[in-house]
Amino acid sequence: MVLIEKPVVANDMEAVHRRIIDRRRANRSLPPYRAALTEEISAILANFFAVEWPGSIVRDVRRVGGGASKEQFFFKLGHGDQEERFLLRMDPRSAITETDREREFVLIRAMQGIVPVPEPVWIDNDAQHFPQSAAILRVVPGVTKPADAGVKVSGLGTYLGPKLRDRLKEQFLDFLVAIHAFDWRANPLPGFEVPDADPKQAARWAYNYWRELWEVDEGEARPVMALATQWLADEMPDTADLVMLHGDYRTGNYLFEEESGEITALLDWELARIGDFHEDLGWVLMEIFGSFDADGTFRASDLFEREEFIREYERRSGRTVNRRTLHYYDVLSSWKCNVIVAANGLAAARSQHNHQDVLLTFLGSTTPMFANDLVRLLGKQGDGA
Amino acid sequence: MTPNTDERLASVIRSLTEVVLPHLPPEASLAQEQVQLAVGHLQILRLQLDGIPAFEAEELADTILLANALVGAIGGGKETTAAVGALRAAASAASGASGAEARQGLSSVNRAIEALVGAVSTDGSAGSRTELATIILAYEGRRVQKDRRWFLPFGFDTMETAI
Repeated sequence: MVLIEKPVVANDMEAVHRRIIDRRRANRSLPPYRAALTEEISAILANFFAVEWPGSIVRDVRRVGGGASKEQFFFKLGHGDQEERFLLRMDPRSAITETDREREFVLIRAMQGIVPVPEPVWIDNDAQHFPQSAAILRVVPGVTKPADAGVKVSGLGTYLGPKLRDRLKEQFLDFLVAIHAFDWRANPLPGFEVPDADPKQAARWAYNYWRELWEVDEGEARPVMALATQWLADEMPDTADLVMLHGDYRTGNYLFEEESGEITALLDWELARIGDFHEDLGWVLMEIFGSFDADGTFRASDLFEREEFIREYERRSGRTVNRRTLHYYDVLSSWKCNVIVAANGLAAARSQHNHQDVLLTFLGSTTPMFANDLVRLLGKQGDGA
Repeated sequence: MTPNTDERLASVIRSLTEVVLPHLPPEASLAQEQVQLAVGHLQILRLQLDGIPAFEAEELADTILLANALVGAIGGGKETTAAVGALRAAASAASGASGAEARQGLSSVNRAIEALVGAVSTDGSAGSRTELATIILAYEGRRVQKDRRWFLPFGFDTMETAI
């Protein structure tokens, strides 16, 4: 892999991301990872709660299906005459997106009362009790896709349909605006650094992190990826407005009640950081997370047409979307997805450090879709630029 | 070849589908998902098996065409000149390879193109950067459609009708 000369501050990134990359590099030589057995998790949970909440009883531990990165288990926790359902989220040794459980935990806790989120209750970030870093959250009812959506990895082309779309879209956008309005200056969160050393630092942090992950995980060279990597280094935009980003905001990453269409929880906060609001918009607007009607009409997350989403975001947030900056983050989003599926996921599978290697190689088949996105995006200037 | 590869794959798929999967307990959700994905992979491999050598040969041939187009069009200072020379050598060495050598050759040519992209950014001649992007995007615009078509059986592509 050729090291890109620009930006000159090649190692500039958040400390948590440096730790993740160093850990990923160091873990490469570790032996294969085996999926945790339900009975093993039951015993670990029992031991954990014997310390954390003496007198409690763990039962009905069962694995959660779907998802591509964490090992997840539902369980019931009883104490006295009360019993509640919880979700254990535990890292495999290596994942398609490797993140920090404590950072996610801190942010979800801060978002309580601002947007619907599960309540985070226990954290074992250093794997003192669990085999890997883990967090426990209170279970929220809801589904990520309609019952009749068919068997697909959630979020990739999920079709909601007109009825659900009408019920979900206003909430979807209002919650994104609310996340972006979170006052991180007044409420600084431990572990979340602010990219304000210079106007390009927000873009540089994103670029440096994902570029180095591509190198560490030995992504297979492809001409359009090389072109995009250089373009992203050369064209970094200034950031006018730093906000709290969700990082993976899309249909498939929220729960809703199918009957009422009420969003009950926003999920998967692990890629959250402080950055340019255009970064979340670019991610939301990715074609792979959306749908196309028979007449070719595209809807982001099967909710909004592109211009409708931009217009409504501007109206509700009071911000002005810079089309050139958005174009940069459109490219960054497709490039980042390419890093995730073609480097991170396949490296996790190659090293046998994941509990579902076969899913990671299956997802690798999406690589040409992201390459196609890069061809399309690099072939045009930003709208209105 | 007796038994042939298709017969062997078919027997594995049938075993997983009709013997293993129905006997997994309902609570073994991960195991069920993994078996279904494994069956999916094998079914797609069965579909693609006969076409793999031709696909790889065409992928390499297309990339060598790109490499030659770049070699003929790009120039500049010391780094760019060296990168053009390395690309010419990689393309020449990979030409006509098959099997594992074709995969290795493809990787070498792609890495040389990657190095050229970085070099042009450093000391490419006036116009080389635009020319580089134009040539690569024109090539990838065609190549990526072939790749998408190849991976269509996986069912992710949301733009099937566009192909």
